Amino acid sequence: MKALELAGVHAGYGRTTVLRGVDLSVPQGATVALLGANGAGKTTLLRAVAGLLPLRDGEIRLAGRPAPSSADGRARAGLCLVPEGRGIFPRLTVEENVALFAGGRRRRAEAFDRVAGVFPVLAQRRSQVAGTMSGGQQQMLAFSRALCTDASVILADELSFGLAPIVLDELFEAVAGLRDAGRSLLIVEQFVDRVMGLADWIYVLDKGTVTFVGEPAQLADGRVFERYLGASR
Amino acid sequence: MSEWLPFVVAGLTSGAVYALAATGLVVTYTTSGVFNFAHGAVGLVAAVAFYWLRVDAGAPTWVAIAVAVLGVAPALGFLIDRVFLARLDQAGTAAQVVIPLGLLVALQGGVTATFGAASRQVDPIFSTSSFAVAGTRIGWDQVSVVGVATAAAVALAVFFRCSDLGLRMRAVVDDRELTLLAGIRAGRVTSAAWIIGSAFAALSAILLVPFVGLDAAILTLLVVQAFGGAVVGRLTSIPLAFAGAMAIGLGASFTTKLVVSRPGLAGLPTSLPFIVLFAVLVFSPKGRFRDLARSKVSRSSIRTRRMSLPAGAALLAGALAVPFVVHGGKLLVATAFLAYVLLFVSLGLLVGLSRQLSLCHAVFLALGTTILAHLSDAGLPFPLALLLGGLAVVPLGVAVALPAIRLSGLFLALATFGFGILAQSLLFGTSIGFGGTGAVTLRRPEILGMSFTGDRAYYLLVLAIVVVGVGAVEVVTRTRLGRLLRALADSPVAVESLGVNPVASRVLVFAFTAFLGALSGGLLGTLYRSVNTTSFDFSASLLWLTILVTAGPVTLGGQIIAAALLALPAWFTTPALSEYQAVAFGAAAILLAQSRNGLAGLWRRPDFARLAGEGRARLARSPVRDRLRPGAEVRA
Repeated sequence: MKALELAGVHAGYGRTTVLRGVDLSVPQGATVALLGANGAGKTTLLRAVAGLLPLRDGEIRLAGRPAPSSADGRARAGLCLVPEGRGIFPRLTVEENVALFAGGRRRRAEAFDRVAGVFPVLAQRRSQVAGTMSGGQQQMLAFSRALCTDASVILADELSFGLAPIVLDELFEAVAGLRDAGRSLLIVEQFVDRVMGLADWIYVLDKGTVTFVGEPAQLADGRVFERYLGASR
Repeated sequence: MSEWLPFVVAGLTSGAVYALAATGLVVTYTTSGVFNFAHGAVGLVAAVAFYWLRVDAGAPTWVAIAVAVLGVAPALGFLIDRVFLARLDQAGTAAQVVIPLGLLVALQGGVTATFGAASRQVDPIFSTSSFAVAGTRIGWDQVSVVGVATAAAVALAVFFRCSDLGLRMRAVVDDRELTLLAGIRAGRVTSAAWIIGSAFAALSAILLVPFVGLDAAILTLLVVQAFGGAVVGRLTSIPLAFAGAMAIGLGASFTTKLVVSRPGLAGLPTSLPFIVLFAVLVFSPKGRFRDLARSKVSRSSIRTRRMSLPAGAALLAGALAVPFVVHGGKLLVATAFLAYVLLFVSLGLLVGLSRQLSLCHAVFLALGTTILAHLSDAGLPFPLALLLGGLAVVPLGVAVALPAIRLSGLFLALATFGFGILAQSLLFGTSIGFGGTGAVTLRRPEILGMSFTGDRAYYLLVLAIVVVGVGAVEVVTRTRLGRLLRALADSPVAVESLGVNPVASRVLVFAFTAFLGALSGGLLGTLYRSVNTTSFDFSASLLWLTILVTAGPVTLGGQIIAAALLALPAWFTTPALSEYQAVAFGAAAILLAQSRNGLAGLWRRPDFARLAGEGRARLARSPVRDRLRPGAEVRA
């Protein structure tokens, strides 16, 4: 059973084609890491999966069924993209952000408890305007959208973007928590080492096509790493 | 103190009405990113519905208000959002401005055509009895208006704080894409905002009509005064917009008292909102006004073919033959058509070439005409007077260039809109304008002993001037200034980084367009021999822009089509046609605002996918997709 499947996905912006026939699947409960150089199409792939970018060709299936066409429809069907940058509403309070993520004010109390359980610091900032928090706290709030929904497939785009290592530890602990809870994850990350320990499968994207699929152990071999990511380590 | 009190009361009353309208405007703009120029027209339609229900259908006043504010206006707002604005998702700035303008022109034209242009008296809604405070009579109706406006604003604030839908609206304002990712139907939220905004427009219009009467032009214009308040709130802050509109109401009222003994300044109180609008936009720190419009498409990919030499020669030959084939009234229409060509060529310099929207072009034509008349009266020969009239308008063009240096897109359109109404109310009544009589008369000229008083001779004179003017524009567009303006339209930053100062080219193009506009105004005025204040009022500017966008602003061919469209109703002399002209052009502008180059663009390459809508529909027929079909070379 695949939680998420992409078959022959083409997408792009204007006259530029970015994704040229991507096939990818995230098995139920598995964690997949998507690696690749800058401009390989990682963010575009996540945006296309989330429904923010129309496909030019190909198909996306969620839990075996064709995914709804709109981004909000996919979110309601159990897909959750934590976008690049800060995926929060900066002028609303932390509590209002959580209420929106949870789908209404009635469910906000329960959702907030869940979030506070993972990121205690957010509990202290309940009525602070989200945009005035530190970058790490904002990213925690952004990621907590994955916590307070029951989304089965979670896409995370560069959680580490511009954050201090100590904050990263806390974030990746939350990611691991979701994986252990049986959620399916597709993660784009620059810190290759961190995702290597987390992922069940690695995909390498280059110029809009998948050039490597395998288990982390295969990529740990230096030659494979060099070949597909264009850098030795 | 007590002598000021009546003006405070009057100011608070009108301020409350403006504040309501401004609030509705901000709600729709922040959630959808589309500035609703038709906000006043929506209010107008609701006010007409209110009037019809109350007077013609005999419904009780409160029922009529409820149906108009809670039924008609929300339905219209919903329709606008779903039918027109759904198309705007990927649209460029020009379309974001032109579609609401087309709506304004169409709605106002539709009301005028079906309901009549005459103003109607409206019975008061609230009790007109009054009470005295410190020797000043205060009407209960005035108190009620302020009370209703305040209550509506408070209710809106509570709604935003305490309801799920209000929270979602604030979320859409903050980050629309993220609301989609959170599974919220952002489209429904935007529709709700349009419903609320339209209801506010309706409420303000209905509160206003007992004081000023039900009049299509006045109502569109008066509710438009809310623009000033909305701009004080940077179009995004409801409390600031509310306060700004209140302050404008009070300020206008105080100004009325101050200028009561100076008839020369009689236009000042009514134009105060537009002074505020213009001043705030021009003097705000750069970057303060952030355009909320979503996902703009760079239009640098527009490729247009120039009119070929044989085609131009054939057109000219045809134009030369016209006065020997066509006679009487139709020859006058043909002459007007030529002057319109000059008008649209001048407007096309801005809209098509440098892609800056000007909503004040009528001012250039009006003052070009009046100055020509005054100079001719002073005994100057026609060619000199025409030339000087054109040059005299150049400073006005430069004044409009001021905001154009700092602002772009929507905010430039708003600033020119304010400027147009400002110039109309401050300058039309003066001695360089239409003076006290509101009209000027002009004589057909005699040049070097040749008389151009006959219709045929005058036609040929206009043709000669227009050909020279169009030739000059062609030279400008093909040389450095034209290249610079095209580059500036694509990326001002890139041009500046090349070490080119964009100010000079911006000022030059506005000066040039004003000059040409003044020439075409002078030619039109001399054609009809008499011109009054209503010939070139601000709504003409809006109509012209919609026509030009309909026809195709980028090429000379499109500009000629625009002139033909404007002249069409007079040619067939059917009143019905001219009544519905505004409706037709408004609707056509909405349909064609996103085509590459209006009708002229369709002419070159039928692109009906664009008519059908943006986004998916267009993508489905794009050559890019065809190239990406499985089996195509990309797959290899």
